[in-house]
Amino acid sequence: MSSMSSGSKRLGLAAAAMLSIATLTLTGCAGGGGASNEGDGSESTSVTVFNGATGTIAENFNPFSSTALQPTLGVIFESLFWYNAASDEPPTPLLAESFEWNEGGTELTITTREGVQWSDGEPFTANDVAFTFNLVNETPELNTTGLAATAEATDDTTVVLTFEENSFMQEPSVLGNRGIVPEHIWQDVADPITEINSNPVGTGPFKVSTFSAQSYLLEKNDLYWEEGKPAIDEVRYISLDSADAATGALLAGDVDWMSSFLPGLEQILADNETLSYVNTPALTASIFTCSNEELGCEGPQTDPAVRQAIYQGIDREQLNALAGGGFAGTASPTLVLPERDSEWIVDPENSETPTNANVEEASRILEEAGWVEGSDGIREKDGERLSLGIQTVTGYSDFISLNDAMSQQLREVGIELNPTAITYNEWINNLNIGQFQLTLESIGLQPSNNPYYSYEKWYNSENTTPVGESALNNNTGRYSNPVVDEALAVARATNDEDVQKEQYGIIQDEIVEDMPYIPIYINSLLTEFNTARATGWPTNEDPYALAATWKSWDNGIVLKNITPAE
Amino acid sequence: MKYILQKLGFYLVAFWAALTVNFFLPRLLPGNPVDIMLSRLAQRGPVSPEAREAVELMLGTNTDAPLVVQYWQYLGKLFSFDLGTSVAYFPASVTDIIGQTLPWTIGLIGIATVISFVIGVTLGTLAGWKRGSWLDNLIPVTTMLQSVPYFWLALILLFVLGGMWQIFPINGGDNVYETNPGWGWDFIGSVIYYGTLPALTIVISSVGGWMLGMRNMMVSTLSDDYILTAEAKGLRPMRIMTTYAARNAVLPSVAGFAISLGFVVAGSIVTEAVFSYPGIGSALLNAVGNNDYSLMQGLFLVITLSVLGANLLVDLLYSFIDPRTRARS
Amino acid sequence: MTATTQDPGVAAASARSSRPKRALPPLTPKLLIGLVIAGSIILFGILGPFFVGDPRAVNNVGLAGPAEGYLLGTTQTGQDVFAQLAYATRGSLTVGLIVGVLTLFLSAFFGIVGAYFGGWLDESFSLFSNVMLVIPGLPLVIIISSYVPEKSLLLVAVVLSITGWAGSARVLRGFTLSVRNRDYVAAARVSGERPLRILGVEILPNLVPLLASQVVFAVIFAILGEAGLSFLGLGAADSFTWGTMLYFAQNGLALRLGAWWWFVPPGLLIALFGAALALINFSIDEIINPRLRSQTRASRKTWKISKSELHAAKESVL
Repeated sequence: MSSMSSGSKRLGLAAAAMLSIATLTLTGCAGGGGASNEGDGSESTSVTVFNGATGTIAENFNPFSSTALQPTLGVIFESLFWYNAASDEPPTPLLAESFEWNEGGTELTITTREGVQWSDGEPFTANDVAFTFNLVNETPELNTTGLAATAEATDDTTVVLTFEENSFMQEPSVLGNRGIVPEHIWQDVADPITEINSNPVGTGPFKVSTFSAQSYLLEKNDLYWEEGKPAIDEVRYISLDSADAATGALLAGDVDWMSSFLPGLEQILADNETLSYVNTPALTASIFTCSNEELGCEGPQTDPAVRQAIYQGIDREQLNALAGGGFAGTASPTLVLPERDSEWIVDPENSETPTNANVEEASRILEEAGWVEGSDGIREKDGERLSLGIQTVTGYSDFISLNDAMSQQLREVGIELNPTAITYNEWINNLNIGQFQLTLESIGLQPSNNPYYSYEKWYNSENTTPVGESALNNNTGRYSNPVVDEALAVARATNDEDVQKEQYGIIQDEIVEDMPYIPIYINSLLTEFNTARATGWPTNEDPYALAATWKSWDNGIVLKNITPAE
Repeated sequence: MKYILQKLGFYLVAFWAALTVNFFLPRLLPGNPVDIMLSRLAQRGPVSPEAREAVELMLGTNTDAPLVVQYWQYLGKLFSFDLGTSVAYFPASVTDIIGQTLPWTIGLIGIATVISFVIGVTLGTLAGWKRGSWLDNLIPVTTMLQSVPYFWLALILLFVLGGMWQIFPINGGDNVYETNPGWGWDFIGSVIYYGTLPALTIVISSVGGWMLGMRNMMVSTLSDDYILTAEAKGLRPMRIMTTYAARNAVLPSVAGFAISLGFVVAGSIVTEAVFSYPGIGSALLNAVGNNDYSLMQGLFLVITLSVLGANLLVDLLYSFIDPRTRARS
Repeated sequence: MTATTQDPGVAAASARSSRPKRALPPLTPKLLIGLVIAGSIILFGILGPFFVGDPRAVNNVGLAGPAEGYLLGTTQTGQDVFAQLAYATRGSLTVGLIVGVLTLFLSAFFGIVGAYFGGWLDESFSLFSNVMLVIPGLPLVIIISSYVPEKSLLLVAVVLSITGWAGSARVLRGFTLSVRNRDYVAAARVSGERPLRILGVEILPNLVPLLASQVVFAVIFAILGEAGLSFLGLGAADSFTWGTMLYFAQNGLALRLGAWWWFVPPGLLIALFGAALALINFSIDEIINPRLRSQTRASRKTWKISKSELHAAKESVL
C-alpha cells in the first residue's frame, strides 16, 4: 500500500512538472513571437520561389536524375540550346552557338560557345559536351530520352554526335533537354545514378548556397558567361503543402514567384499593388476516350459518332466560366495550340473548337448513327444505353467541376455521364491499362513546337497496347489508324518543315474525324508574381519564356533576366 | 517476472504480425512507382517512350523475384536497419527521410499531445470532483471544441491569426529566410514560434476528450465504497481526490494516452497538411502518392514501433499501478 | 467467503447493479438541448433532401452570397450550398450511424469478452486488437477502395470502423480487467453464477458509461474521420458529406474569398452535432447510474457524522 501511494505521488509530481513545462513553453512561444521574422535590411536582392514542392525536400542536384530538384535543369546546369515553350521562335543558343545535320539525319555537328567557365573556374569546352552525351549513351539508367549516339569532340569548340539511324526528331531532346556536366568532376563520380551532387558545379546563372530539408538557397554565379546577368543575388526555394498555404504566403510577401491555380485570383490580388499575374494557357484539357474496340475497349465511346456528339454537345463558354475560372484558352481539335502553333494547322476549318453547345448538330450525329432517345431521355442503341463513366483525380477540383457541368450539358443531347473521382495512383494506372471509358487528362508540353511529338505520342499505333497492358503514358486512347502511322513515318524521315506540314494535314483530317481525344479547352496556366523585390517577369506582351515555376530550363531564363526592383 | 516475459513475447508476436501486414499492404496498392514518376516527369518537361525503361532500371523495380522471396529479403534487411531507398526522393535512403522528418513531428505533435493530456486530465479530475461547478459546466464547451473538425478549426485560426492579424507565421516549421537548422537560439526560437499555432490548435481540439473521459471516470470512481470509507475516515479531501479517486480513475485515460502517443506519427498528417509542417505526416502522404513502398514501409515501421512500444509501456505501468490486472485466477 | 458476503458495501453494489434503473431520464436542460439539436440535425438530414433541388446542378451565378432563391448562397460553380448541405447531412449521419453500431459490437466483443474470460482467448483477442491498432488506416482506405470502383459512403464507413474499433476495445479491456478482479465479482463467481450472467449482470453495468461514451466518440470520430479523409482528398468524393463539402470549399479558397456561407455551415453542423451527442451522453450516464447523480460531493457533505458518532464507531470496531 505504501509503495502504491508513493508511486502515485511520483506520477502527480511528474504531471505537475509537465504542466509547468507546458505553460513555460507556451509563454515562451508568445514572448519569442514578436522578435523574430521581418527585417530584410540587407542590400542584396533575394527572391523566393514556390515551384509546387510539398513536404520535406531531399537534396539532389544531379542533372541526370529523374528526381533532381527542379532548378537543377536550367538554373544550375544549362543545355546547348533553349526552346521557348511560350512562343514560336527558333531555339536560343546557350552553351552552343550553332548546329547542323547531315543529309541523312545521322550526324549532328554542334559548335560550342567560347569563353564559358564552370562555377569552379575551370573552362568549359566541347569535351564536356561529348563526355555528357557519352555518359548518357553508356548508362541505360540515365537515358530517359532514348539517345543512341556516340559523341566526339573534334576540337575545343566542335562536337559531333553520330547516330545509328535517321534521328532528326532527337534534335530538341539532345539540344534542349540535356544539362551539360563538367568532365573534370563527373569523370570521378563513382555512380552517376545515385549521386546527389550536393555541391554542383555548373555553368548556369546560379549555384547552390545552403540547403536544408525545408528550403534551399541559390546564389548568383559570378562567373556566368552572359554579361551583366543575373541581376539578382539570391533565389530561395520553399515547400508548401496546398494552394491555400501558397496563397497565404503570396499575400504575406513570403513568396515572389509561384504558379498555382487560385480560384478568384483577381479578387485575391485586388488589394496588393505589388502582386500581379500572367496567364499563359499551354496544356489542353481533354476527354480521353478508350476508343478502339479491337484493342479491348468497351462502351458507347468506341463509336466515333458518340465522340463527335460529345465534342459538339459541350458548352465550352460555360465550362470556362464555372471550372476554368474564365482563364482558359480556346483549343484546337488538331490538339496543337491555336495561337502559338497556328502555322502548323493546315485546314483553317480545324483551327478552333466550337464555343457553345451545338445541341442540334450533336443530336443529328447521334440520330444518324442509330442512337435513339429512350424513355428517360437517355439515348439507346441495340439495348445499350448511352451512359458513360468518366474518371478524374480526387484532388483536381477544376476537373471535378468540369464533370459536373458536362454531365448537365450532355443530358440535353441524351448522353449520360457518370463521374467518379479516384486517387491519382489509381487514375494513372487505369489510364495506362485502358480501364476507363472516358477520363480527363491534359495534353502536355512537348520538346519543341513541332506537332510531330504530340502526334507521335498520342496517335501512333506503335505507342499503344491492348487493354490490360500499360500504354506507358503514350497512346492511352488506343487509337490505331494506318493513314496516321504512314504520315508520321514520312514526317519523321525529314527535317523539311514543308514536307512535314503536308503530312500533318493528313493526320489532322483523320483525327478531327475520329476524335479519340476530345479537346475541351486550353487550361489556364496562372503564374503569380510579387514585384516588390524584382521586376521584369514574363508578360503576355513579352513572353520571353514560359513563366511557370515548375518548367525546367525556362526557369533559368526567367531568373537571369529579372532585375531588382527600384 | 513471468508476467513481464509473457507480455514481451506477446508484443514480439504482434510486432511480427504488423511487419507482415506492412509488407503486403503497400504492394496491394494500385499502380506502380514507375508510372507515377514518369507522369511527374512529364509535368516538368517532355518524356520520351524510352524513359520508362531507364526509370525502371534506375529504381530497380523490374524485379521478378516472387513475393515470398521479397518478403524474406525485407525481413532480413529490417534486422540490419536497412530500410531501402526511397522512390519519391531517389536516391535518398528511407532512413534519411525519416531522420529529417521525424524530429519535427515528435517535437510538435508529441509535445502538444502531452500538454493536452496533462491539462485535460487535471481539469477532468477537478470537474469530476466538484460536479456542478463552473468547471464541470464548461465540459460541454470543451467537448464542442473537440467535435469541431480539426482542420476546419485550424484553417480558421490560421486565417484569422496568421492571415488577417499576422500574429503567427502561416506555414513551415522554422523561419527559413533568416535561420539555418542548428542549436543556435535564433533557430530554436523560430521553431518554437512557428510551432505555437499548430500546437495550440491540437491542444484546443483534443483537450476536451481527455477532460470528459477523466471526468466520467472520476464521477464513477467517486461513488465507489472505498471513497465513502475514506470520507468516513475523515481524510483530507485533497488526499481523497488525488490518491484515492484520481489514481484509479486515470487508468483508462492512461491507456488512451499511450494509444494517442503511439498515433502521434500517424495522426500528424492533417496538421502538417494545414500548416505545411515539414514532418513525417507529409512524407507519408507523399509516399502514398508516389507508391513509394520502401518509404511507406519505413514510416509504417516507425508507427508500429511507437504504437507497440507505447502499449507495452502501458501494460507494464498498469501492472505497477493496479496490481489487480496482474492477478489471473 | 464469509467475509465477502458480510461486506455490506459489496453486497449493496452487487444488488444495485443487478437492477439498474431503466426509467426515462429526467429532462435536464443539458439533455433537452442535446436532444433538440441532434434531433433537428437528424430531421434535416432525413427530410431536407426531399425539399431541395439537385445539389449538383450548376449555373452561372458562382459564389453568390445568401440571397433569395439560395438560402446559403452558391459554390464556385453556382451549386446551391443549402441543397448540398441537406444531402451532406444525410451522408455524414449515415457514416456516423454505421460506424457507431459497428464499433460498439466490435469493441465490446473484443475488449470485454476477452478480458473477462482471460487466458488464451484474451491473449488472442488482445493480439488481434493490437495488430488492428497498428495498421495505419490511411493506406488501408486507399487499398480497399481501389478494389471497389466507386468509393461509396458505406465503404468509407466500414473502413473507418475497421480501423477505429481497436482503440475502444483496448480501453474497455483495461477497465474490464480491473472490474473483473473486484471482490463482488469474485463473490458471484464463487457463489456459482454462470460466467455469462456475471458478465452481463455484474460487469457490464459498470462498463455502460464507458461503452456509451465510446459509442458517442465513435460516432463523432466517424464524422470527423470522414471529414479528415475528405480533406486529404481520400474520402468518398462522389458523395455529399460535410467532409466533402469542406474539401471543395477549401479547394475553392472559400475562406480567402470571403465565401463563409460555403465554408462555415458544414463545419458548424459537425461541431453542433458532436456537442449535442456529448450533452446526451452526460445524461445517459446519469440514467444508468442514478446514484451517481444524487451522490454529488455537495450532497455527500450532508452525510458527515459527528465527531462523537465517529468516536463511537471507532470504539466499536476496536
